Amino acid sequence: MTPSPLVLNGLVVGAMLFALGLVGILARRNLIVMFLSAELMLQGVSVSLVSWSRHHADWGGHVLVIFVLTVAACEAAVALVFVLQAFARTGRLDAAAWQSLRESVLPRVVDRELPASDAATLVFPRLTPAGVEPEHDPDAALEREHV
Amino acid sequence: MTPDGGLSSTGSLLAVAVGCAAASLWLLLPRGEGGLRERASRRFGMLLGAVALALFVATGRRLGGVGEEAVFLIVALVAVIGGAATVVTRSPVYSAIWFALALAGVAGVLLVLGAQFLGVATIVVYAGAILVMFLFVLMLAQPTGMASYDRVSNEPLLSAVAGAVLLGLLTLFIGRLSAGPGECCAVPSRAAALAGGTPPTPIAPEPPADSAGRDPLADNHVARLGGELFGRHLLAVEAAGVLLLVALIGSIASVSRTPPDEGPDAAAWRAGA
Repeated sequence: MTPSPLVLNGLVVGAMLFALGLVGILARRNLIVMFLSAELMLQGVSVSLVSWSRHHADWGGHVLVIFVLTVAACEAAVALVFVLQAFARTGRLDAAAWQSLRESVLPRVVDRELPASDAATLVFPRLTPAGVEPEHDPDAALEREHV
Repeated sequence: MTPDGGLSSTGSLLAVAVGCAAASLWLLLPRGEGGLRERASRRFGMLLGAVALALFVATGRRLGGVGEEAVFLIVALVAVIGGAATVVTRSPVYSAIWFALALAGVAGVLLVLGAQFLGVATIVVYAGAILVMFLFVLMLAQPTGMASYDRVSNEPLLSAVAGAVLLGLLTLFIGRLSAGPGECCAVPSRAAALAGGTPPTPIAPEPPADSAGRDPLADNHVARLGGELFGRHLLAVEAAGVLLLVALIGSIASVSRTPPDEGPDAAAWRAGA
């Protein structure tokens, strides 16, 4: 039986979220962002499961998504502890700070010199003061028209 | 997509969309360029991403009504754009906030798909608990200024291509699902099998309502989901409870190990032993 258009669109959205999470896991070096990417992949899987659940008119996908939520909560709790421990040891949230754990045949990640970041060159405008600050009446500040 | 005609044109459109998505992700991922060049490439990447999204929307299947279609389009776009921004944003704090937006979109998609309880549970569990935990860790760990490892990526080109290839394959097979029965990937519907008691030979546009009360779109959604969860899956619920307890104890035990202040243990700790 052909899945309904809504199911197919849901599957496409789930695939997009999963692919985005995969790119994040592979490319980013910040441990926290890698974590968020993993959660994004879980969300994509959840959308796919609910889509199939709708197609099959069955509760199985819903129940599986509940267990995915449970495991994701456990995973986040345990892994954030490890992230904090790693940060306490190295002072960085960098995955490459732990590259001594890599395979011996792999090359070492060497950071090149980065150009100045955008944040250093940002210039914020100074707002000119507009108007005159009115006289404050402390009694009026305490009065209220409505309780 | 029309069910029979125009498959090849849809396929080429999808290929262009996937290629645009790969190029957009490569341009948007942090590559440590800095300055005007980085800003220009980011703008071009956003443009390409918008083109890719528009192509995906154009090749998507039309839903029944205009309202339903508009709602699904909005929540799906929020989810996907939030997810992409989570991945490509330099600052991890903004990344977490974009992730919250993506979660809101995902919850909307789940609601549209008929999973009312899961939509709300996603918001409560993720946005309410996990995301706040992420933000706490970020506030503890965030150094002043932007770290160098947030401004460069591991192999941005290869990663973007890998994600795009995966997305292309998945959309290809999802597109073939709609080609109808007789194809290799047509999936038999359980509802049709239950209703008929025979393999699903007739082609129906919608799965027929299940007489056994197992349809997630029926009334008393949460009560039925609870009945299913605590009926057929009771052992799994118990196992999940044990898992939560173990994770709680494990995280507390791990985090309370503070590094020693002095002595030979401290040197070994700093050395990573």
